[in-house]
Amino acid sequence: MNDLYADIGYKSVNHYGEQLCGDHVDIVEQNENSVVVVLADGLGSGVKASILSTLTSKIISTMISAGLPIEECVSTIAETLPVCSVRGVAYSTFTIIRLINNQTAEIIQYDNPHVIFIRDGESTAYPKTEMNIDGKKIYRSLIKLRENDIFIAMSDGCPHAGVGNLYNFGWKVEDIASFVEGLVPVGFTAKNLSTLIVDECEKLYGYQPGDDATACVVKIRKRQPVNMLFGPPANRDDCDRMMSLFFSKAGKHIVCGGTTATIAGKWLGKPVIASLKFERSNIPPTAKIEGVDLVTEGVITVSKVLEYAIDYLNQNRLYEEWFFQENGSAQISRMLFEEATDINFYVGRAVNPAHQNPNLPINFNIKMNLVQELSECLRKMGKKIKVIYF
Amino acid sequence: MKVTICIGSSCHIKGSRSVVEQLQELVASNNLGDNVELSGTFCLGKCQQSVCVTVDEKFFSVSPETVKQFFESEIVAKL
Repeated sequence: MNDLYADIGYKSVNHYGEQLCGDHVDIVEQNENSVVVVLADGLGSGVKASILSTLTSKIISTMISAGLPIEECVSTIAETLPVCSVRGVAYSTFTIIRLINNQTAEIIQYDNPHVIFIRDGESTAYPKTEMNIDGKKIYRSLIKLRENDIFIAMSDGCPHAGVGNLYNFGWKVEDIASFVEGLVPVGFTAKNLSTLIVDECEKLYGYQPGDDATACVVKIRKRQPVNMLFGPPANRDDCDRMMSLFFSKAGKHIVCGGTTATIAGKWLGKPVIASLKFERSNIPPTAKIEGVDLVTEGVITVSKVLEYAIDYLNQNRLYEEWFFQENGSAQISRMLFEEATDINFYVGRAVNPAHQNPNLPINFNIKMNLVQELSECLRKMGKKIKVIYF
Repeated sequence: MKVTICIGSSCHIKGSRSVVEQLQELVASNNLGDNVELSGTFCLGKCQQSVCVTVDEKFFSVSPETVKQFFESEIVAKL
């Protein structure tokens, strides 16, 4: 056990005119610190490719995480996959990245573009052992993990971007590697890195991709806890207990809610200084309390964070909105989606009498649902979530 | 003179942003920046009314439609 954390994110773009993606990424957690990531690319595109890649990635991730050797996975796939009636073969390429106890990465690759490995901000070569399983050339590597290591698995749709159009031979893997090297210092999350790569591919294809393109990024980083206080406790007498638990935790502290901020300020013995700076967006302004990293309004701000979280897990189209703005929701989103690996929510269940007006979109049930949905989204981002109610 | 406007959830929904922006604009256009200090605050506990505003600790309830009138009677007149 060490204090490393694997941030995993991926994005796909479909072959132009197809509704289904022929690439599939499957992630299976073996335990808290071990995870198997499989990226499979089915032959062709559309429904057939989608079925091939989904089957392949599911079979491999399930078998590998159950501890079966790669040889058995390969023969199972060969026996299971439906044979293509046009080409007479059953075929799906794959890349497996398996993180063992957050200490070692095992990479197994079959016919996909080779995984790009970035260490200390530079694309780095790594040893590969060639294996021959049922006539298939499969490469296996073992790498000891270090902080800031980045692995990028791709389907061949990425290096094929722009073939014969903008580039003679497409967007070569080395060029993708240097594209990513330029982005590393910014500190993008795995999801945002994969989004940037795939968006670039889509651009090179002239927004009419000739193949499904997928990038899956695994980023190794140090754990960073973030604590978020949301709402005053149901019982006033619990204020001190709630505050002392919240402020005794390591990591960053976010306080959401006007009354909550007032309580936190009182406990710390510091004034709450609210700003009057409105941004373009209709999010209430933030405030400052010495000793707290971020103070915001409650329900309206957090609703927006939830909207960003849902989008981030899907098409990730709004990231420019929260990545660059300074309003409360954008700041919370950056802290929770990018910085945090472990998030502790301290949720107060006090009912604000003024909010129990059916005409206001901020009543008690909405607040409780917000916390549940947001923590569910953050769990899907791979973060460890704890929710404590007062 | 210190004028504080609530920017909490309830007041936000009732238009505190508009109240703040109108007051900022009125203070600037009347050249009162040296005499009037605008600041924000969180909940003042009177959410049932309009947007909560205090002038030197005295409480008022202002809506975006009544800002101008409030500015004339409670700020300009009392300077």
